[in-house]
Amino acid sequence: MMKKEALIAGFAALLVLSGCGSQDKPASTQTAGNQSAAGGATKEASAPISGKLVFYTSQPEEDATKLTGAFNKKYPDVKVETFRSGTEEVAAKIQAENKAGKVQADVLLLADSVTFEGLKKQNLLLSYKSPQLDKIPKTLVDPDGMYSGTKVMATVLAVNTQKVKTPPTSWKALSSAESKGAAIMPSPLYSGAAAYNVGVLTRTDGFGWDFFKGLKDSGISVVQGNGAVLKAVAAGEKSYGMVVDYLVAREKAKGSPVEPVYPSEGVPVITEPIGIMKDTANDKAAKAFVDFVLSEDGQKLASDIGYTPIREGVQAPKGLKSLSEFKVISSDITKLTEAREADKKEFTQLFGQ
Amino acid sequence: MNTNPQTIQSKRDGVEAGAGLFFFLFAAAKKCALLLPVAVLALFFALPVVKLIVLSMQHDSGFTFAHYADLLQEPRTWKTLKDTAAIVIGSSLLAVILGAVTAWFVAYTDLKYKQALQMAILFSYMIPSYVLTISWTSLMGTQGPAAYLLHLVDPNAKPWSMYSYGGIIFMMGIHHFPLVYLLSVDVFRKVPRDLEWASRAGGAGKVKTFFLVTLPIALPGLAGGGLLAFLAGLDNFGIPAFLGIPAHISVLSTLIYEQIIGFGPSAFSKGAALSVVLVLFAAAGAMLQWLLVRKNNPFDAGVPDDSPRYFLGPYRTLVSLLLWGFLAVITVVPSLSMLAVSLKKAYGVPFTLPNLTLDHYQYILFESTKVWRSMQNSFLLAAVTLGICFAFGTWIAYVRVRRPSWLAKTAEIVIALPFTLPGIVFGLAMIFVWMEPVPGWNPGIYGSMQILFIAYVCRFLILQVRSGISAFMQIDVSMEEAAHIFGADRRRKWLRILLPLLAPGLLGGGILVFLTALTELTVSAILWSAGSQTIGVTVYGFEQAGDTMYSTALSSLVIALILAGMAVIYTLQKVQAKRGVRS
Repeated sequence: MMKKEALIAGFAALLVLSGCGSQDKPASTQTAGNQSAAGGATKEASAPISGKLVFYTSQPEEDATKLTGAFNKKYPDVKVETFRSGTEEVAAKIQAENKAGKVQADVLLLADSVTFEGLKKQNLLLSYKSPQLDKIPKTLVDPDGMYSGTKVMATVLAVNTQKVKTPPTSWKALSSAESKGAAIMPSPLYSGAAAYNVGVLTRTDGFGWDFFKGLKDSGISVVQGNGAVLKAVAAGEKSYGMVVDYLVAREKAKGSPVEPVYPSEGVPVITEPIGIMKDTANDKAAKAFVDFVLSEDGQKLASDIGYTPIREGVQAPKGLKSLSEFKVISSDITKLTEAREADKKEFTQLFGQ
Repeated sequence: MNTNPQTIQSKRDGVEAGAGLFFFLFAAAKKCALLLPVAVLALFFALPVVKLIVLSMQHDSGFTFAHYADLLQEPRTWKTLKDTAAIVIGSSLLAVILGAVTAWFVAYTDLKYKQALQMAILFSYMIPSYVLTISWTSLMGTQGPAAYLLHLVDPNAKPWSMYSYGGIIFMMGIHHFPLVYLLSVDVFRKVPRDLEWASRAGGAGKVKTFFLVTLPIALPGLAGGGLLAFLAGLDNFGIPAFLGIPAHISVLSTLIYEQIIGFGPSAFSKGAALSVVLVLFAAAGAMLQWLLVRKNNPFDAGVPDDSPRYFLGPYRTLVSLLLWGFLAVITVVPSLSMLAVSLKKAYGVPFTLPNLTLDHYQYILFESTKVWRSMQNSFLLAAVTLGICFAFGTWIAYVRVRRPSWLAKTAEIVIALPFTLPGIVFGLAMIFVWMEPVPGWNPGIYGSMQILFIAYVCRFLILQVRSGISAFMQIDVSMEEAAHIFGADRRRKWLRILLPLLAPGLLGGGILVFLTALTELTVSAILWSAGSQTIGVTVYGFEQAGDTMYSTALSSLVIALILAGMAVIYTLQKVQAKRGVRS
């Protein structure tokens, strides 16, 4: 799972008071949620947006710092407090906070939409249809406005350029004779992105569980996360890996012998969605933050950092393909969410535990 | 002057009543003195576990055992339980053997450079387990150096796969054996020489003397260290996650993690139920340890004996070479491989001069503000945790050894619980307890650094308590009685008699607490907040962002700092010792 980081050292002085502040504003702000959905953009100009905003994310810390820094240039009065950890840790933390009384986060940005579907089901999210959504592909946004994708991360075939001379064009390369014992993938039991990939691929024509049986028969290694996959391929321990594209591009730019391949059948994508918690104490700032992430400025920032932006008209960074340049394989997200447990069990049984 | 007998009587009554009240208060205070620690233990250590138990039985409609029933019906749970038992017991045994052998050599023989040897042993506990695993898997990989060497002998030979039961047991064993070493080296030193002489004079050979005299006396240290290794093995997530997933081996800690991040409606409850199972496992380990040391009486040993008892003679060089070779293989090799990665321009490029750079160090030292911040935080956290654990843990160990009651024994188990739970579970339990200690009231402990102080002290207190217990079990109560007879008050007794005798053992525990707290990750990853990031969290962040070079650079830097710190302490000790001789 691609994870991330967050933490702004400059906010250190605030930390002692941070726990208490969030309860100052009671429920009155919550009802405003749905009304301002339509007119969010106009309100922005009239009332200055300020106060504390608690931001939970799984982005790498550097990226989160850049994002909140850019946001603060536009809204200097908002104090953003960031917690960053792995998607699993953040999700577990939110569940625990919910059980203990109240979720402390205002805005949430995590790796995949299935996590958000779960939160939506638990009725923990606030519906907000940002005016920026008209430039975001409809398929990557929740129809009820609970969350929206913020970037496009394709899972691609990474190859070690020293081991593989002719780059493959199909996912089938993973189960071919030459990749026997030389392929590696992240475990869906640990990585949300990997679980998503299993869900999508097993529901796609030409793949299904047979595809994964083929992988097992050719002795694919299953490891904890995307980072471990990339390292194994970069170090030449393995020749092929199923891994998120931007990691490959980053490592390649640094000089590692790796190359991302977008197979012709298409690639599953995760969108690192953003959403607002229902019990947010500062919905104005939360909405402004969501607007900013989806705006042209916010998307350009994402591209500068090294991600494929989701917004139409913003270029992908060098080494990565834009959304329009590759085929996306997807599946019904509600079904995926419902079937995730069953998928994991099936995977466990197939690969034997 | 008032001579009215009645007044006198009433005065007397008053005095008596006053005295009565005083004694009542005194008794109450004594009771309170007992109640207070009980309350503290209940609040800080037991409550998180109680909340877990409640959660494991929670259902939409009241209480249920359905989660347990579900789990127990799944064959995978049973396989996991068996695997956990095999791995944890196997790795504890390995740790005890390695720890006992190294401790015996350091305590008993005339090996050279013992201080350096001790540092090298601690080293393997300091290297983060993920670094240890990564370097070993690349060492033993199909294209690693081990394979290269094997191919020289037999081109078809394959190195032993680390992704196996044996691999996991081996990694845990070499990672946890310093726990056993630290708890037993001082115990070995205090084994009374005259008893061994007596045994030898009575006709028992060296080996028989070792098994009949030395080993039983050293048992508290070995069993205590073994218990710590057992608990640490139960809690360890990094090694089984890294090595077990590809081999389809799961243990309780990885299964719990899977359940919790599974995110389904019953995910938390199932995770909690499994955690309760894990707690039972830990309790069984503690019981076993009690049974082992139950009949053990403290010997009138007291003074640690630093001079060697066995002279290795012609074997001295050989033994030194073997020991250093072993330590080099298990610690120097992985740390060098970590250092090598931190110096490379990119992951996977060959280690040649044009590919080397110091840029990563420049970045973490001068460009990243969070690195310094996290170092300050971690050192502060580790120092405060050490201070609290040292005072509180020593006292608890004293009570546990001198006034063993069911209360003291229960306290020991309760204190062990937070250490045993997987980090993610303990972190979540801390949220349940501390976010709103009273429903509706959030005092702000959670969301600030305070929660980390509480969590660290709760989690690592057992390290100090255990080492304190092994230290106290070595000192006969007669020492204290002598102190009392000669009129020493409590303060003098502790400062002049007990602490100097106990110092080496207690310091060993202190070092463990400090080092463990300094590099803690799993709990901090859930509980940290803006401004309170720790070294572990920062390394984890780099690692997750794909910046392996930064994470290895930072880990190398931390290890270098710890080594420098140890070197300073060592030099200071030497200088002081010299002064002592002169004056």
